[in-house]
Amino acid sequence: MSAPGRRPGDLPLDVLHLDMDCFFAAVEVLRDPSLAGHPVLVGGTGPRGVVASASYEARVHGIRSAMPMSRARALCPSAIVLPGRFDAYREASARLQVILRSVTPLVEPVSLDEAYLDVSGAHRLSGTSPDIAWRLRRTVRAELGLDCAVGVGRTKLVAKLASKAAKPRIEHGAVVAGAGVVVVAAEEEREFLHAHPVRALPGVGPRTADRLGRFGVSSVGDLAAVSRDSLVRLLGSSSGRALHDLASGRDERCVVAERPARSIGHEETFPTDIRDPVELARRAREAAARVATRCRSAGVLARTVTVKARFSDFTTVTRSHTLAAHADTAAAFGDVVCDLLASLPSGGGLRLVGVHVSGLLAAAELPARQLELFADGSGQAPGSDGHAHRDRRDDVEAATEAIRRRYGETAIGPLARASRGTSSGPAGPVGPA
Amino acid sequence: MKFRTERDGLLDALATAGRAASTRGTGGPGAANLQLVLHGNHLVVTGSDQDLVIEVRTSVAGDSDGSVLAPARLLVDIVRSFDPGAITLTSDDDEVRLTSGKAEFVVRVPVSAEIARLSAAEGEGITLPAALFAEGLRQVVRAALTDDTRAPQLTGVLMVATETGLRLVATDSYRLAFRDLAGVSALSAGSEVLVPARALAEIQRLVGTSAPTDGPAADDEPLVFHHGELDAVFDLGAVQLTTRLLRGPFPDYERLLPPSYPNSFSASRDELAAALRRVRLMVRDTKDATTPVRISFGEQGAELTVLTAETGRAAERVDGAYSGEELTVAFNPTYLLEGIEAIRADTILLDVIDSTKPATVRGSGEDDYRYLLMPVRVP
Repeated sequence: MSAPGRRPGDLPLDVLHLDMDCFFAAVEVLRDPSLAGHPVLVGGTGPRGVVASASYEARVHGIRSAMPMSRARALCPSAIVLPGRFDAYREASARLQVILRSVTPLVEPVSLDEAYLDVSGAHRLSGTSPDIAWRLRRTVRAELGLDCAVGVGRTKLVAKLASKAAKPRIEHGAVVAGAGVVVVAAEEEREFLHAHPVRALPGVGPRTADRLGRFGVSSVGDLAAVSRDSLVRLLGSSSGRALHDLASGRDERCVVAERPARSIGHEETFPTDIRDPVELARRAREAAARVATRCRSAGVLARTVTVKARFSDFTTVTRSHTLAAHADTAAAFGDVVCDLLASLPSGGGLRLVGVHVSGLLAAAELPARQLELFADGSGQAPGSDGHAHRDRRDDVEAATEAIRRRYGETAIGPLARASRGTSSGPAGPVGPA
Repeated sequence: MKFRTERDGLLDALATAGRAASTRGTGGPGAANLQLVLHGNHLVVTGSDQDLVIEVRTSVAGDSDGSVLAPARLLVDIVRSFDPGAITLTSDDDEVRLTSGKAEFVVRVPVSAEIARLSAAEGEGITLPAALFAEGLRQVVRAALTDDTRAPQLTGVLMVATETGLRLVATDSYRLAFRDLAGVSALSAGSEVLVPARALAEIQRLVGTSAPTDGPAADDEPLVFHHGELDAVFDLGAVQLTTRLLRGPFPDYERLLPPSYPNSFSASRDELAAALRRVRLMVRDTKDATTPVRISFGEQGAELTVLTAETGRAAERVDGAYSGEELTVAFNPTYLLEGIEAIRADTILLDVIDSTKPATVRGSGEDDYRYLLMPVRVP
């Protein structure tokens, strides 16, 4: 069910790679501005902990991600070490996804802070790829208060290397601002690629790099000069062939909007526990609506709806319900979610509600559907609250989504959400002004 | 209580009343039991699950009067297991003792359980022609919804008084069947009752088993029907069935009836049914509505095709006369077959409008029965 991605055979610069700058540390600084300017480390604080994220002020001291925390502390004793609040990172990441999806539905998240975009279908609305890249960077800055680097190229490999080139650098113990956006045009691609060390290619670790080094191959350019057959003899058939292709600028990997997911879910941890069932139902319906939107953008329908609820005392329960037929609407999911929530023991407040749907089926694979005699499906007389109402809600959802696709996620929403005065997500259209 | 009787008569009474006893743990504490009451030589066996009560009267050789409540399933299984011949049943407050031949069972009886009774319907009963009514039920009950979680009112058969008689209607929202019973006046003009299809299926079965010869030609034994606001009673003499009535609203089905049939296929009922049964073999789960039979109508007749990704493909052409435009409509093969099997005439008419509108199955020359069926939409 992978969405049709871009083939490298066509030449336009349609792949963007966006990478957040020291994401976890930056989120921490955003939450506590007094940390700004200080070396901040996020990661395990135990004896075997490693650095998950380091601010540039920490990197100046030679600290890198994945370095043992003990060594990082030795390098920079004044560093502020934080254990990490993954809910906050996930939330920021979810908001990032919303921004990315306002550009194109063809977004392939790699991790919380990194994603590929295929913008081949976005030019009419959003301009050239470099335009999109620059605007994206500005939007992320404006909406999330976080910096990122964006690389633009013909292939995933080039886009990824370009975003790396766009990052701030450490030179002579000082931070040098990066370009923010690096665009590698087709005619510059060869030179750009060849200048990189072989380690820059995916699949080349220290051992492969060593082996190549012994044959005098240290840069991608060196690698491209080696014949395919020699590489295969040296590295084996699959990695030899793969590396030869990458070094020659051939990257067959497409931007895949949604990996063949087994389930789609959204969880929300509330700032304060929610006891009010009405408020809870509203938040749950919001989560259901997000899941429905993701289902539709992935072109899948779901059969099973699961609700996860975490109570104030951290006990967690899940409840599932299988629908009579596959669905992809906020109304269908939301009704079930509310029923399931109502079936939970009441009393204690909830700190988290999650909505997950599974039993996914691509819309094209949808089984034949038995039609019903009565438009409202329930067999009830028309006008009563049956499926007719639901169909109308489907129409509303479809229209809402069309507006969001064009003008951004927050361009339209339920009045209930607006009244809460939330400011998550882009404030206005992300498209061309 | 003590009596002697023959195995077959007792088994019949227990099994019939037992069909109203609940085996699913629903219907209250007494619902899994049968009540036996003896007065002289008259034994009354009653099963009930609060919505349906079946009371069977039978004659036995009574010894001492009394009554007892005993587990329905076990009682039926025990009596069924006995060889034909005499059975003695005795009971006191704690147990029921059954002996036959050299076998003896002592069954503990539930403490302080009672079976639910429905209020006796008031008013004069109306005598229905049993065989005709049962035939109407055979044609209509099949279209009722069997799973009551979705729309309880669709698990019923609507009995409605018409100008010319009585109409029976049932629908599960995918298909709808109605039958007009001319000259049958069971209800006052303009009134209607919604009777659970489950109760009517029992009526159909009871009439069918007591009238082994086929069709309305059989001697009509009396079936007395009366109803109140909440309940209805069907009295067949030896068996009395009381059912709770369902509450509507029943869908406004009349607006669904197509005013005309632009495309009409007529064929031998048996040939079409046989072909459907054959191609349906490719559908592994017959309850699964997702594998339809596609029927292409044309001058050559009807081409039936079942195509599944896992199993394979089956096709068969059924000869027949077709008038209308060439088109293909997909149906749940079981639903279509059930409609065809409800037809009495040898020639059936299958009328279609298009691939998304209801088709109609009717018998040639039979204007008193219609079976409407929605197509399956294929991707």
